[in-house]
Amino acid sequence: MTGFAEFWAARDIWRDPLLASVLAGALLGFLGIYVVLRRTVFVSAALTQLSTLGLIVALLVEERMGVEVEHAGVQLGVAILFSVAGALALGTLESGRRLPTEAGVGIGYVVAGALVVLGANRLIHAAHDLNAMVFGNAVAVPFSDVLVLLAVTLLCGLVHTVFQKEIVFASFDRETAEAMGMRARLWDGVLFATVGLAIPVSARALGALPVFAFLTIPASAALLVSGRLRPAFAVATGLGVVAAAGGYALSWMWQLPTGPTMVALAAVFVVPGAALRLFHRT
Amino acid sequence: MKPLVSLAGASIGYGRRPLLSGVELAVAAGDFLAIVGPNGGGKTTLLRTLLGILPPVAGLREQPAPLRVGYVPQRDHVDALWPLAAGDVVLMGRVRLAGPGRTLAPADHEKARAALARVGLAGLEHRAFRTLSGGQRQRTLIARALASDPELLALDEPTSGMDPAAELAAMDLLRELHRAGGLAIVMVSHRLETVANYAATLAFVDQAQGLWRVGPLSEMLTPRALSALYGRDVAVREEGGRRFVYPTMNGGGRP
Repeated sequence: MTGFAEFWAARDIWRDPLLASVLAGALLGFLGIYVVLRRTVFVSAALTQLSTLGLIVALLVEERMGVEVEHAGVQLGVAILFSVAGALALGTLESGRRLPTEAGVGIGYVVAGALVVLGANRLIHAAHDLNAMVFGNAVAVPFSDVLVLLAVTLLCGLVHTVFQKEIVFASFDRETAEAMGMRARLWDGVLFATVGLAIPVSARALGALPVFAFLTIPASAALLVSGRLRPAFAVATGLGVVAAAGGYALSWMWQLPTGPTMVALAAVFVVPGAALRLFHRT
Repeated sequence: MKPLVSLAGASIGYGRRPLLSGVELAVAAGDFLAIVGPNGGGKTTLLRTLLGILPPVAGLREQPAPLRVGYVPQRDHVDALWPLAAGDVVLMGRVRLAGPGRTLAPADHEKARAALARVGLAGLEHRAFRTLSGGQRQRTLIARALASDPELLALDEPTSGMDPAAELAAMDLLRELHRAGGLAIVMVSHRLETVANYAATLAFVDQAQGLWRVGPLSEMLTPRALSALYGRDVAVREEGGRRFVYPTMNGGGRP
């Protein structure tokens, strides 16, 4: 049997993880356009750390204090809480007179990362899950997680469809939006709340590394080839889907780790745009 | 006339640190106010406070009724990374009027096209904003402000980076809009000569000296007042119906 035939024969096993990967790829690819254009790439890196930290805190609370948080929904809720709070705090940071925004984001990233390692070090039973959390392991995703991801994708899609013009205006030129009487902080909050919501839900299925990658690589590839915003959203969403599904299939057929394979495939999509830019420059 | 917006006993600044105190300023329909002063003097801070972007550190900002504001930020403030067409940028001027969640109507697109034509950029609505020249970008931002049907047009260094012909055209456009009636204009500029031929009221701002003065152009545009503001001798000359303002070689100015 060929690699693809074997892959197809096992479709009952990979159907749910693949669905989860595709949904996460689409959602993160779309949101990535805002993340890249607003120059908040490292905010998303910090949020993936914060989301993982939320999971570890939930596990630690269970192990050390005996509080029952074993239910997956509770763990996810804590991760979402950490991520959305972090998104609202880090995403709307403003440069001060003494420190640039990046300093605050960098501090958030390294402190969250250090706490993840420290927290994992103190975990007794659930330590083996950490590798999958950080590097991704979409091999087994329960159907309930697919449903949660679908609900979050639909919610974010609805919010970004209905309020796109407000979110784009506040993101592109916040000062003018405020001067014209719009509640720019509110629209910033809406944007980063959706980013903060998407990250832990996606990270639960794919792991932190692919989540960070899908928030940056498809959007970067799309912005290199597209000169307009709407097509860029569509291309980034499509590339997220293709990188997630293709990476999943390749990892299955070639017996590779799932998350890194998705990331590597996504990176390939940057090449045509980069080559195009290089060609235009010369 | 009842002011559209005013500051009373206001201290302006960031956070809790006042840059300048004792600001009394009222802008009414039909005013043409220019805010001038040295670099770092607090001109932009004053404009942002007047528009409600920044809260006053102390004192009051009053706006008796909802106000349609068209705003032109400093050109460098707008991020050219975004893949937007000039028409997309101008349409943002209609976003607040359309209301949250509502789709922009064909009439909004027509307004945006008309605003682009008004600033001399007809036919460029599909051009990428980032590929426009500096002066064209600035005019696009002015068009966005006009597309919002403003009662108050606020501009922060609107002619910076423009060549002299484009600067004159932009200022002539502002005068034309002002004369058409009712529109209040507040502009920040570090180019005294630009505003000296257009504004009716002048405000001097310099937080380093704690200086705040506002009054009719005829009272404010004097060598004595300008020399005190800039810390060196400044001459004012009128020729062919135009005012020329320039520093002299004498130095002097502020005691």
